[in-house]
Formats: sequence, C-alpha cells, structure tokens
Amino acid sequence: MNPLKGSVAIVGIGEVPTGRLPERSPIECAVDSSRLAILDSGLDPSDIDTVIPTAALCCPAFNTDLVTGRLGEELGLRLHNNLQVFAGGATSSVMLKLAAGLITTGVSKAILFVHTDKLGTSISGQEGIDLFSTAGISKEWEAPYGLHYSAVAGLITQRYMFESGATPEQLAAVCVSNRKWAQLNPHAMFRKPLTVDQVLNSKMLSTPLHAFESNMLADGGAAFVVTSAARAAELTDTPAYLLGEGSRVTHFALSQEPDMARFGYAQAAQEAYHMAGLAPGDIDLAELYDSYPVFQLIALEELGLCPPGEAGAWVAEGATWPGGVLPMTTNGGMLSQGHTGAGGGIAILVEAARQLMGKAGDRQVGSPSFAIETATGGTYVDAHVTILGNQIPQTGTDQP
Amino acid sequence: MTDIPMPPMTPWSAPYWDAARQEKLIIQRCTACGEHVFYPRRVCPHCFEDSLDWVEASGRGQVYTFSVVQNNAPSAFVDQMPFVIAVVILEEGVRLMSNIVECDPDHVHCGMAVEVTFRPISDEVTLPVFQPAAGSDQQQEASQRHA
Repeated sequence: MNPLKGSVAIVGIGEVPTGRLPERSPIECAVDSSRLAILDSGLDPSDIDTVIPTAALCCPAFNTDLVTGRLGEELGLRLHNNLQVFAGGATSSVMLKLAAGLITTGVSKAILFVHTDKLGTSISGQEGIDLFSTAGISKEWEAPYGLHYSAVAGLITQRYMFESGATPEQLAAVCVSNRKWAQLNPHAMFRKPLTVDQVLNSKMLSTPLHAFESNMLADGGAAFVVTSAARAAELTDTPAYLLGEGSRVTHFALSQEPDMARFGYAQAAQEAYHMAGLAPGDIDLAELYDSYPVFQLIALEELGLCPPGEAGAWVAEGATWPGGVLPMTTNGGMLSQGHTGAGGGIAILVEAARQLMGKAGDRQVGSPSFAIETATGGTYVDAHVTILGNQIPQTGTDQP
Repeated sequence: MTDIPMPPMTPWSAPYWDAARQEKLIIQRCTACGEHVFYPRRVCPHCFEDSLDWVEASGRGQVYTFSVVQNNAPSAFVDQMPFVIAVVILEEGVRLMSNIVECDPDHVHCGMAVEVTFRPISDEVTLPVFQPAAGSDQQQEASQRHA
C-alpha cells in the first residue's frame, strides 16, 4: 500500500465570503479564514507548527509579508516553519501531497494552509485580462499572438467539442449545474438562477466561449488544517483523509500540449484510484476544477465518472445538479462562487473536506464517504487528481 | 493603445527571428535523434542531446484548434478584434501558436490546411502567421473577396 494513503487528514476548514469586497483587506481575510480553520480543527493554536500561505497575486508587498511570517505572528502561533507553496490553480492538490510528506516524515505535526487574494477589486477588468495574458503564457512564443485566458479556454473548448461532439448547450449546462449549487452557498459571488439560454445569449469572448462560461475574478480567502491520521482520529469522527493522488504536468506553452481534449487526467486518475484502492463507482461526489466548463466535462470523462463520451449530455440531464446521481463542484466553483487566483482550487478542496465532514449546510449531499477533486494551474499545464474520504478503505484495487 | 508585446528573444532563438524577418520559417532539428523541435531549445526535448541544428520548414500545416477573439482581448490587441488565434501542426510534426489571416474567421476549422506567411510587428520583429493553403476553398474565397 502507498505509505501516504490515509496518512494525513484535513481536520479543519475556514473560509470568508467570495465577492467584490473592496473594504476588506487581504490580511483580514487571511487572519479570519485561518482562525476559523484552527477553531474548526479542534487543535490548540499552539499545536500548529507550520504555516504555508500560498501566493497572493494582487499585492506583492502583502505577499512578501506572508513569505516572511506575518500570519503566524498575527495569530500568535509558535511556528517551526513558515514557507510559501505556489503552483497556480493546482496549489490545493500540491499543498495536500506536500503536507503528507512533511507530516509522515516528522518535519511537521500540524500545518495551516492559507490562501487569500483580492483579484476582484484590486485591479480593473482590463488589468485582469492583461495580467492573465502574461501569467503562465509564453512571452516569446504566445503572447505576441494575443493569447490570453479566454482564448486559452476557447482553443481548448473548440478542440474538445470537435473531438467529443459536445454541443454549446451542453457546455452551458455545466454553468447551470454550478449555479444551482452556488444558490445554496452563502459564500458564493453569484446566486441568481441561471439558464442555458442566458449563458448562450451572453456575449461571445473567444469562440466558442461565452462570457457566462468564463470565471469571474473575485476577492476571497480560505484555509485548512492538516495533521496526521492518528491525531485526526482523536479530533473528529469525520476527518477528510488523503486516500489517493496522481498528477501529470503536460506542457508549459499551450501549443506544446499533445492532447488539448484530454490532458493528463486519465493517467493521474488511474494513479489516484490505485493508491486509494477505489474505483469510479465508489465516488460519492466530484469537486472538479472549473475555471471554464470544459474542464469539468474533460474531468468527468477522464476520471471515469460518467458514461464514456457522454459527459455533456449527462450534465445537461441534471446528473450533477443538487439531487443528481453525482454532485459536482458543490460550492458553485469559480464560475459561480468566484475565482480568487490560486484560491479557486483551494475553495474546491475545502468544499470536498466540508462535504466529507458533513458541514455543508443547505448543500450537504447526505453522508458521503469518498470525494474526488481535480486541480490545474497555468494554461492547464498539469492535471492533479486527489481522492479524499472520511474513512480509510483497507482493501481495493491495489491488492493482488 | 498599448503596443503588441515584443517577444523576449534568447541567443538560441535569435536565428529563428532573424529568419522570420527575411520571411523564412526555420525550426530546429536534432542531429542526434533526427526529431524536429519547436520552439527553439538549448537541449533536445526528445533525446537530451545539445546538438540542435536549423532547417527550413515546409511552412505547410493544419489547424489543430482555433478561437476567434471577439471581446475582452488584452489591451494591445483590442483594435485587432476580431482575430483568429490557432495552434498549427506543421508537416514536420511540431506545433506552434499563431494567428490565421487572410480568411473569413467563420470559415476557419479544425484540420484546415494552412501555409505560413509573415507579418511584421516592428522593425526588428516579424511574426510567422498562417493563411489558407494555396488551392484550398478558403484561400480561393479569400482571394475573390480581395479582388
């Protein structure tokens, strides 16, 4: 058995509302979400020996404060380690596997991970477009051609539709699914009902991507606490154990991606299922990274969560809605909760833990045992698949 | 209006940009393993050797995927909208990001045959871009429209 399977667990989560909240400072979000996460964990603040804040893109000076230990001091923690981990949108999954390494090797006993950013109000809409036309995009080989994130999503969605036959209505239905969940999420930025027609009638950004199929940059913050499985079992009956993870990095420059309709999800998922000893049929909910709807459709197919080749039709039929057979991205995702930079993915990981802990309020999906989560950064350079559960399966596909 | 971002060149990419300015598309080829390479590297990504040489590319390829930018372009590109951005696979097998020009954006499609042409964006920099291949339906239509 993989030594990291069931080795650590998320035991506490904290989050502040996502939206356009100019009066709220990044340090306020960081302190508040961290405090909530530590209180939620049941650990004493003095048990936290490591703080890992990820990058705040909005404010380099604030980010330097994070790197140099401000958060631990503001919270009165007694730290052995303060360091930054940043892998763009994939930071969530990267943080969790790093936590497993640090904790199983004894470097850390309890780790606080924090993300906060102010992308919704610290920059204008055009500045956001310009920022994201350089972040993760090759300045020599792609930026001179006008590549930016809407076009990245347009290129990928075009190829996915060409290969899969998915329709514009099916892509739009993904946004509707996310919105139905966001309507149940008091922290979400967008909570009004949304229809397929509204999505398809929103302005075209980069074909075939409509405005309502684009995430919205937002202010927000989220935090989570990870400790050993043994300590977790003392704290709660429903920790979110790390059960499986797999990943692939498949390009830097988008043009170098060999398969823009699939990326590395199938291989990453195979590793994650194998490590967890679980199969797609065991999964109760899918917290899929959604900065654009195509990534949820790709993940549904490549993770084996829907009938092969039918992700679009499946979502359009309501399979992923509240009450559907596979609840998907149950916080509303970046398309409806809002995109806070690296925090979009962290909010999704926190949501997976929240559901497994039974703390999701109006959107709680019964008593799930196993959740699968995806994350990806840059121009979808990597595919991370993480399986979490509130129990540790002792048998499975990794047994002979 | 903001200027188009100029590509930050490297010593090992300079021959590519020099050739583009003379309206030639060159790509690297590894003398050790024979594979073609784009974008220019210091090390062959196929075999890890550092013996990359330059060859002139056919300039012919096909559209792998594309997108017509209609709204929300970066500042430097707002006045070019609508424009077509595309990933092109050359006959040599390498992939590059580029623009499709001389073609009705509505007629660009995955698999479309294209050939290289060149667009200067400053005195120093000329970008290789792509247009419908000679003899293709899109090329004939484009030439009629411009007649």
